[in-house]
Amino acid sequence: TFKMTGMSLLQSDLEKTELTLNPPEGIVAGPIDEENFFEWEALIMGPEDTCFAGGVFPAILSFPLDYPLSPPKMRFTCEMFHPNIYPDGRVCISILHAPGDDPMGYESSAERWSPVQSVEKILLSVVSMLAEPNDESGANVDASKMWREDREQFKNKAEQLVRKSLGF
Amino acid sequence: FDPVENVKELFPCFCFSGVNCLAYDEAIMAQQDRIQQEIATMNPLVSARLELSVLYKEYAQDDHVYQQKIKDLHKKYAYIRKTRPDGNCFYRAFGFSHLEALLEDSKELQKYKTEAMNKIAERADQNKKKCPLPFHGKFMDLIELVEKQASVTDLLNAFNEQSISDYLVVYLRLLTSGYLQRESHFFEHFIEGGRTVKEFCQQEVEPMSKESDHIHIIALAQALNVSILVEYMDRGEGGSTNHHIFPEGSDPKVYLLYRPGHYDILYK
Repeated sequence: TFKMTGMSLLQSDLEKTELTLNPPEGIVAGPIDEENFFEWEALIMGPEDTCFAGGVFPAILSFPLDYPLSPPKMRFTCEMFHPNIYPDGRVCISILHAPGDDPMGYESSAERWSPVQSVEKILLSVVSMLAEPNDESGANVDASKMWREDREQFKNKAEQLVRKSLGF
Repeated sequence: FDPVENVKELFPCFCFSGVNCLAYDEAIMAQQDRIQQEIATMNPLVSARLELSVLYKEYAQDDHVYQQKIKDLHKKYAYIRKTRPDGNCFYRAFGFSHLEALLEDSKELQKYKTEAMNKIAERADQNKKKCPLPFHGKFMDLIELVEKQASVTDLLNAFNEQSISDYLVVYLRLLTSGYLQRESHFFEHFIEGGRTVKEFCQQEVEPMSKESDHIHIIALAQALNVSILVEYMDRGEGGSTNHHIFPEGSDPKVYLLYRPGHYDILYK
């Protein structure tokens, strides 16, 4: 019955995501295969006026069978360079972790996973993560360091990734 | 002795390589998972009803404080039902004990069912986005089980089915959160750390495995209008356990034993 509840919630998540995110926020997300609601693909546009603007970044969301008791995992499938994205593409932000489940030492006020969160909330958090990296909890220490100490070089690197994401 | 090497060894996460950092985080998470797994295999979500005297064996014989307090507790209660120490124990203990009491009281059950329905309708109106309907459905399944005059064994089996049991926990967490937020003018005075009631709920109530304190108990007891008595047993002086009834002065339906960090169910 875990799976059935997870399914029905993911279906309503999908409706909500399509309704609110597609046009204004520049996010497209949905199951890769209609037969399997527990694996989604998302395309995320780099937010305007940031160094990732103009890019289109693909990612995979993997939901556990007990979703929404446990959070999904999210991984960019394109090359990324960002303080809160591990070198293998995995996204590391507080909303994808339950409180206490805390390797990165997030601030206690940061928004955490709970069963009332949704895919929509995660995707919006990822967009704001792209716009404003959190260099306190570095999943990619090199990126954190560059973001802090050499913003120009970071911007160049991000622009390369934007071009790559568009296939140039 | 190279202090830099030493730091690298002790704290690989600070060692300037994303790859190391990942390995380190994963090791911590895997460790936490293992601990949780161990707790799970050793403790059912809700245990059979046991003689209260099992508690004596949990403490050393020369642990006079606890041995004395258990003796005192034994004068008031005959049995205990243990719950898994997974951070959800208050909700699970409350949920089981409450439904078990309703098994024997069909009038109270009908009243309760209607109230629960009304509450959910109210909640759904208030905040469409956070409507806990799927969790409510699981809860109503359990109520129906009770209605059919199921045996305590059936109820116990249902509570040991992880999905049923966990969704009930979510449902009770959301009720608690909803009540705290609705009565935020009252509760805001009791929240530490300069947080709003809403922030408190998002951090301490809604997520699974977050432990419960007085404020959660007060809110849930009032939200469901069910009186809860908690016996507190800790290392404090005095030789007897102290109890507290939520809300004060009411006639308790659910009896819980609190030991630091954990709740179990008590029976007279």
